[in-house]
Amino acid sequence: MTGNRWGRIQYLGEKLLILIVSLLILSAAVFYISRLAPGDPLVSYYGDRVEKMSLTEREWAEDRLGLNEPLAVQYACWLENALRGDFGISYKYKLPVVTVIRERIGNTLLLGGIGFVLIFVLALLLGIACACHEGRLLDSVICGIGTVSSCIPEFWVSLLLVLVFSVNLKWLPGSGAHTAGQTGDLGDRVRHLILPLTAVVLGHLWYYAYMVRNRILEEVGADYVLLAKAKGLTRGRVLFRHCLQNVLPSYLSIMAISAPHILGGTYIIEMVFSYPGLGTLTYESARYHDYNLLMILCMLTGIIVMLCDLAVQMVCKRGTEKGAWP
Amino acid sequence: MAVRMENGFKIVGIRTLPREEQVRPRGRWDKGSGRVFTGAVLVLTTIILGCFLCELFVARDPGYLDLRNYCVLPGREFLFGTDTMGRDIFAMIWYGGRISLTIGIAATMLSTILGVVFGALSGCAPAWADALMMRLVEILLSIPSLMAVILIQAILGEANVFSISFVLGITGWMSIAKVVRSEVRQIRECEYVIASRCMGGGFFHILWKHLTPNFVSSIMFMVVMNIRSAIVAESTLSFMGIGLPVEVITWGSMLSLSEDAMLANAWWIILFPGAFLVVALLCFTGLGNHLRRNFNRGQSNL
Repeated sequence: MTGNRWGRIQYLGEKLLILIVSLLILSAAVFYISRLAPGDPLVSYYGDRVEKMSLTEREWAEDRLGLNEPLAVQYACWLENALRGDFGISYKYKLPVVTVIRERIGNTLLLGGIGFVLIFVLALLLGIACACHEGRLLDSVICGIGTVSSCIPEFWVSLLLVLVFSVNLKWLPGSGAHTAGQTGDLGDRVRHLILPLTAVVLGHLWYYAYMVRNRILEEVGADYVLLAKAKGLTRGRVLFRHCLQNVLPSYLSIMAISAPHILGGTYIIEMVFSYPGLGTLTYESARYHDYNLLMILCMLTGIIVMLCDLAVQMVCKRGTEKGAWP
Repeated sequence: MAVRMENGFKIVGIRTLPREEQVRPRGRWDKGSGRVFTGAVLVLTTIILGCFLCELFVARDPGYLDLRNYCVLPGREFLFGTDTMGRDIFAMIWYGGRISLTIGIAATMLSTILGVVFGALSGCAPAWADALMMRLVEILLSIPSLMAVILIQAILGEANVFSISFVLGITGWMSIAKVVRSEVRQIRECEYVIASRCMGGGFFHILWKHLTPNFVSSIMFMVVMNIRSAIVAESTLSFMGIGLPVEVITWGSMLSLSEDAMLANAWWIILFPGAFLVVALLCFTGLGNHLRRNFNRGQSNL
């Protein structure tokens, strides 16, 4: 038992090490790319204040950021500041980057998180429904709609949703996270979430549903299903107790791999709905050449994706170790 | 039930069962695959020919701002209506498709070359270098490609057709590299590769003559899908106003007027370019799926 635990700790340590190294490489890559940006890096760090700085102040600032040093040393300096939580200021908002992001990240995680869970559950249900009716009308209709909808770019779906439900029917609000002045109203918040959430789910649902369908169809051909049926188990019991247990781990890992896609899709949808999250922030920072903010956003997104990946790897590992799932 | 053989023996006791069809009954969806493919190729050819030969049948200048006729409903004079700047949408769709498709194809060519070279290098490299290179690919894959595209495009400055193809190309090669690498690792110890190396064949010679023919079928699907995602990415960027400016007509930049269109409730400005985009993407998907089914059986599509 202790050996097992020791092995698990070792495994965890290994994963963490890989994560840290990946983060270092990611930050280095993004840092170097953003240093290629036109313009004075001092400006991207301190904003307009640079113009009012005296020469000594400027020198002090350059010295502090190590701008006179080679790039590698600069990166080390930047990393040191970053570890202390100092990421510089956003050029557009004249605020520390961390503050700007902290205000927005909750909204994105809410939209992305609920969207992810909804996609996960609905795709599973749809996939099962298709697999049960394989080759019949329901299956082909769902697969047909799925193929078409998987080809529709997210932003166009969002546009159509706004056009229909917000502009013409006037049922739901088409932009923002809440009506101005009604920050605390939960119902208002939910009403603002419906359309973006629909767009997030519609854009990704079918692909995963189709995948679940195919995996289940592979699974029901196996011998153990025949055995379970011979034992007298009902169809539903075989499907949910036996087949699903085998499908779930691979489904989970596919969902983890697709975290960047879903997150990227969420960003686009946020921009269309001008929903105050990281996506809108990305768009604004690209628009106003706020490289410092953009760089941090890129890294943050990468970190979120890596963490999702790690979490799912751990869960899957646990599942296989126990021999049973879940 | 007895079968008389030529040598006089009889075989007895055979139960002849009706031969069971081993293939699982396929859904209507799979059966229609051939027809879907033909349809996709036909429509795609029409769109591509239409876009590149549009001078022949589109009389209007797509860039002409007809200020008296802005936001005109689709009708006899303006087949698909006009946009908020008074441009004819029918003409714009055909001229715009030209740039959209060009960007898609150019970006995919770049990403395919990068992916194949990187993947082959990684596949031929010693184990530690291979692990390092694949780790790098995984790290790059963890950034949503849209973020990377926005970051690099913001740094390159004002977008044009070349810069956007370039950016889309250098952000889209990772998945191809992964597939190429795993294929190359399988075949790099083959006798003909070793023989070629012994005879002094260079890396690119071996890559082109011996490795490429082996993995070309497994990356075809991804190449077609890359065209698709490059077109989507370009239109998304142009739509948001980070990509090509409104004067450069593409399917995406046509949609960037959608905010004005919403205010005027002009559905045709949003519907028609988007519908063309979706049809083109559907065709690419149909093409890709057909390629995968027929050349890439049993392979993972990840």
